[in-house]
Amino acid sequence: MFLTLLKKELFVEFRTREITISMIVFGLAIILTFAFSSNVSPVIIVNFAPGMFWIMVLFVTVIGVHRSFAYEKEFDAFSMLISAPIDRGLIFLSKWISGFIFLTIMEILLFIPFYKFLMIDFPIQPWLALGTTILINLAIMVVASLVSGIAMRARLSEVLLPILLFPLVSPVIISATKISGSIMRGEPYALWDIWLLIILTVIVVFGLVGYTLFDFITEE
Amino acid sequence: MQFFFHNKSNRVWLVLIIGLMLFNIWNIVVNTPMVPDQHWAQKIFYVHVPSAWVGFLSYFIVMVAGIMYFIKGDEHWDKVGLAAAEIGTLFISLVLITGPIWATPIWGQPWIWEPRLTTTLILFLIYIGYFMMRAFGGHAERVKRYAASLGIIAFVDVPIIFVSVKFWAPEIQSHPQVEMTSQPPGILIPFLLSLGIFTVLYRLMLKYRIHVIQVNYKRVADV
Repeated sequence: MFLTLLKKELFVEFRTREITISMIVFGLAIILTFAFSSNVSPVIIVNFAPGMFWIMVLFVTVIGVHRSFAYEKEFDAFSMLISAPIDRGLIFLSKWISGFIFLTIMEILLFIPFYKFLMIDFPIQPWLALGTTILINLAIMVVASLVSGIAMRARLSEVLLPILLFPLVSPVIISATKISGSIMRGEPYALWDIWLLIILTVIVVFGLVGYTLFDFITEE
Repeated sequence: MQFFFHNKSNRVWLVLIIGLMLFNIWNIVVNTPMVPDQHWAQKIFYVHVPSAWVGFLSYFIVMVAGIMYFIKGDEHWDKVGLAAAEIGTLFISLVLITGPIWATPIWGQPWIWEPRLTTTLILFLIYIGYFMMRAFGGHAERVKRYAASLGIIAFVDVPIIFVSVKFWAPEIQSHPQVEMTSQPPGILIPFLLSLGIFTVLYRLMLKYRIHVIQVNYKRVADV
């Protein structure tokens, strides 16, 4: 059933491409704004690059998850979805994993413009950067999907989503910035393992809490 | 519905708590020793730490009320959650005000990213979102469920936020009250007394606030 729900999410997106296109265009606009507002030497900007990258990802995530839940509102599709005889925790899991896939696609496409426009060097260990980025994306999306599930059907959902999400996701953003910074500087794993543990904790804790709570959140 | 202070037991508690609070202030100002390098600034900790304790206790109660609301489906737990969230935010605001008052003369600036203060600030922001959800969320029944979920998520997030902030700025670990139990009795006993008095005050405030929310709900239902 989970695979059917995930397929539905991916199918809708690949047909309309609303989420990925919005995320990529918005991401590009943020990169340009960063480039214009920080016209300094690459030596200086490299210290801020990890933070800038994850701020961009956070903003783009808001756009993505909001859109992912918003299209369910059209024709009251979400009410029909939750009235189906399925475990609602699986709806949460499908939103989480599909959001993670869209976010990862967006990052892969924005990775080169980000480094080239800001004129900084690529990470020394690109595979390590990719692996940790995947885990960070899972952590960001698990919190974002849960918060979006709460905010989606509220009035002013587009305002409530970032207001609720940003403080809740702050441990992930701190950890992500530290991990990316350490990888860019080529620091050994022992110096940044704690941040990876925090990311894994968020994935496990919010994954379980989201799976359990989603049934109650979506109750009619 | 009966007026809260028409109840004799509530009136007795109110008078008792006013007396205890006055005694607490007198005790802090007159009886506690001056810490050599902090002087009067240190005395704010007899209010700051109990406020933090009550704030976090209150947020814990919001989480418990959220879980109970989902399990029992009883409206009462929603009122408990809302009341605890309001009072918790009041005390957490006091923590965020008294912390910088203490920090200005001691650290030389009102704000440093000290882990506990930072965690408190993040939690405060989450609860601002919680109240916005309550106020602007729309459908009343849904908002109750969303608020219960947020109360649970916010408290689950606290240890993760604390650990991340602690390692984020490892050089800032200069919070002075880490080893409260190792303080001399002249400081420890008034501190524990203040903690107890704040907890009793909290109990009455929570009871009162639940009563007020019940009255408001009933008024809305009557209309």
